[in-house]
Amino acid sequence: MTPRLGPEPPCVIERFLDRALAGAIYRDDIIGDLREAFLDLAVRRGETVARLWYAAHATRLTLRYGLRITLCARAAHYSPQARGGTAMDRVLMDVRYALRSLAKRRGMTVAVVVTLALGIGANAAVFGVVDAMLLHPFTMPDVDRIVMPMTTSPRWSGHRETVSPADFLDWRRQWAGGAVEHLAATEWWDANLVGRDEPERVLGFHVSPDFFAALDGRAALGRTFLAEEEVAANARRVVISDGLWRRRFGADPAIVGQPVLIDGLQSIVVGVMPPTFTFPQLAEIWAPLSFDEKATRNRTGHYLTVFGRLANGRTLDDARAQLKTIAQRLAADHPDTNAQLGAEVMTLSRGMADVGVPAVLGLWQAAGIFVLLIACANIANLLLARAAERDREIAIRLALGSSRGRIIRESLLESAILVAASIPLALAIASASLRLMHAMMPARIVRYIAGWDRLGLDAWTVGGTIACAAVAALIFGALPAMHMARGIVADALKSDGRTGGGPGRQRVRRALVVAEIALALPLLVAAMLSISTIRSYLISWQGYDPNNVLTLRAVLPESRYPDDDSRERFAQLAVEQLSVVAGVRQASVGNVIPAADSNSRRSIEIAGKPIADVSKWPRVDYRVISTQYFEVLRLPLLSGRTFTTADRKGAEPVAIVSESLARKYWPSGSPIGERLRIEDGPWMRVVGICGDVVHDWFDGRVATLYRPLPQAPADSLFFAVRTAGDPMAAVADARAALAHVDATQPLFDIMSMRQVLSDRTISLQYIAAVMAAFAGLALLLAVLGLYAVMTYLVTQRVREIGVRIALGATGRDVARLTLTQAARLTAVGLAIGLLLAIALGRGMEAGLLGIVSTDLRVTAALAIALGVTALAASYLPARRAASIDPMTALRTE
Amino acid sequence: MKAKDVYVGELEQQILLIVLRLGDDAYANPIGEMLTLTARRRVGRGALYTALERLEAKGCLRSTMGEPLPERGGRARRYFTVTAAGMRALRDSRRVLLGLWDGLESKLETS
Repeated sequence: MTPRLGPEPPCVIERFLDRALAGAIYRDDIIGDLREAFLDLAVRRGETVARLWYAAHATRLTLRYGLRITLCARAAHYSPQARGGTAMDRVLMDVRYALRSLAKRRGMTVAVVVTLALGIGANAAVFGVVDAMLLHPFTMPDVDRIVMPMTTSPRWSGHRETVSPADFLDWRRQWAGGAVEHLAATEWWDANLVGRDEPERVLGFHVSPDFFAALDGRAALGRTFLAEEEVAANARRVVISDGLWRRRFGADPAIVGQPVLIDGLQSIVVGVMPPTFTFPQLAEIWAPLSFDEKATRNRTGHYLTVFGRLANGRTLDDARAQLKTIAQRLAADHPDTNAQLGAEVMTLSRGMADVGVPAVLGLWQAAGIFVLLIACANIANLLLARAAERDREIAIRLALGSSRGRIIRESLLESAILVAASIPLALAIASASLRLMHAMMPARIVRYIAGWDRLGLDAWTVGGTIACAAVAALIFGALPAMHMARGIVADALKSDGRTGGGPGRQRVRRALVVAEIALALPLLVAAMLSISTIRSYLISWQGYDPNNVLTLRAVLPESRYPDDDSRERFAQLAVEQLSVVAGVRQASVGNVIPAADSNSRRSIEIAGKPIADVSKWPRVDYRVISTQYFEVLRLPLLSGRTFTTADRKGAEPVAIVSESLARKYWPSGSPIGERLRIEDGPWMRVVGICGDVVHDWFDGRVATLYRPLPQAPADSLFFAVRTAGDPMAAVADARAALAHVDATQPLFDIMSMRQVLSDRTISLQYIAAVMAAFAGLALLLAVLGLYAVMTYLVTQRVREIGVRIALGATGRDVARLTLTQAARLTAVGLAIGLLLAIALGRGMEAGLLGIVSTDLRVTAALAIALGVTALAASYLPARRAASIDPMTALRTE
Repeated sequence: MKAKDVYVGELEQQILLIVLRLGDDAYANPIGEMLTLTARRRVGRGALYTALERLEAKGCLRSTMGEPLPERGGRARRYFTVTAAGMRALRDSRRVLLGLWDGLESKLETS
């Protein structure tokens, strides 16, 4: 070993240099020389300066030799028997030549790089969303082994549903030792947390003890749940998320074992999960799920979401087959409730995905590809024009013996360099778009969209972007390369120096413009359809007046409000307090308000029309409301009476039905005075008919049943308050008023009714915003493409136009000639575009469950608008053509 | 048979001249320094090694290895000497340049 002599150069850098020099003739000399000079400098100028000097020189040498080795290896690979100079020299020369030729036409290079970056960036952004939401929405280890068994029925929308407690317990018992292990059920839990700060409503889940094992989630502090904690007596335990631990408990390391006040009762914190575990739906707290005697027999209430993990060596098909057998057995054992029910096992990603999401993302990706194709057509056009300009140069080179392969290689290399330059810009555009999309989505909605919180550029997206760029390079690089390959020496040399080639090439260029317009129209139509659907939903008839209404939510904990009386008292006092807040006209409360993100549905039976099988009872929207509810929402009462204070507990049970319910079940007469009931509820007399409301834009008018709050108090409450002015101005006073009733009761989702409506359409707004961005981009690129081609065609015809003018044609004739040519191209593009637009519109109708509908008038109007814009873009070149001076034109030729 | 003519560029000429001047002590570090000091020419290390490599390939330089030295991490120096072909290339280029200079000195001084 060499003895150490004073200061040593940075060893990492030296190692890199050593590796880069592998194969260099002077490898040892270079390293030795550098070391020697380093030592000399360290003595004269100090070690720090010497190290910096060494780093700079070694890095430069590493890059120089590293690049040389890489290129050498590649070149040797391509042509082992290279003639005339080493293969590396030739590749380097080609690269240098391509760079120089691109630098010479800086304007065109920038235009191509920016166009390409926009096209690729848009695709990368959509791919980022597809990746986060569809391909990798969850990041747990072995996520493919996590499954969601669920109940199916032909009667349910989407044909799948959550699971009833009795079915879950039977599955768990009968499936033990089967293809799925750690079968765990979960139930939504609005946890009310009271402690050092103001009361807070935290999203939680009641989960079976095996839940964490199913998802392979391990506590960072303490433990998860034990099997015995499923018993109600032991169930006052909680596991909290890392976020809640930091926010609410100041990251107290001694939190495990401490009691916390949740829903008015003490629970012991047994564990804290790591920051990565917030499943499901960004949950912050978990408590054991226990079943009381009644629940273990409940087969009609489907409210459990079930998870499990595939046992080692078992497949999804094994699990499906086994659960199917179990479901068949249950159907035979419990024909009254389970006769129509089946069961299905899905992977976590499929099971948690929204039904409409793949269709929307498919639409976005299609739009992204359209934009990229338009961008490619534009670039191909620019490169073709440039290739045509170089016809003579290439012909001379071919005549002098240059190989055709080399010229094609150069052309492809130029395309590759353009693509390489556009990738960083495309990634920046994608990253900015994804950040914007992430920031625009309200936090309260993010939790419902699996994967949205992970939106951003990851390895998959970057890989996808590069793949997309490579495809783009092939698309737009192929045309000019083919053009050059076909170049005929004699023709080009004989030509009079005009560039642009014969009619064949112009045909290609025109075809590209036609394609751009044809692709832009469907995007415009799709964007306009999405926007008009939202507009029509937001401004159209809702059945009530959503202006100047403030809404607040509260979920009453069972421990503090264990019975109907206490719940009714809270609701009544709260409404009284809210009614006297300054600026408030009237206050009311209900279990659900229109357009809210939750709903309550019940099966009903009409007196005199009995149906034996409970599972076949008609389902209606179910509302429990206070007396002023209709007045606050300005929901019209059509006949009969509204609820009064006389409709209290113990009085005759009454109900009000919506117009559509009345028409559906009493088509020939009035329902007033008739009786109906909900499952396991008393018979109620119908006392009034009210107007319909739109709760969900998927469903439109839905039959709705209203009951007075004192006769069926709810624990989940929506307060609706009509204000004199801006509803949000009353928030602070409304909060204070409710704190008077119960200071420990958290309130959430405090927003105006307009905001509730807007949130309801958030997904459509997203679809519209993204489609509008794509459409705008497509329009811009298509119009620019047409402008470029028309300008080009005018320059090509300078001589002809000069002759025409010399022979007596006026400026107007010439302008008309150019505009007619542009109009012809546009018309062909629009004709093809219309067909594509109608097909895409039909696709959207089918994919988006009928929430949009194609409107031929809109499509036609957009086609006209696009046509006018395209002609406007051709106006400038037309004017230029008209102002050509015949003498100059003929002289220059 | 007449030896093949070798053409050397300006940097290569300067390097050959410096190697001649340095005599027995001609290795990369002093060659680089002298290029900077005497020829007032800043040449990157990479370019210097490439030029040395090229001159050796052309047969203008020959190299021999010295003893391993501790200050070089146990690596030896590569000493260069100008070969006969190198001398011939220098002579040729000098003759060409002097021929071109001939009669122009006075013009250069007055301008």
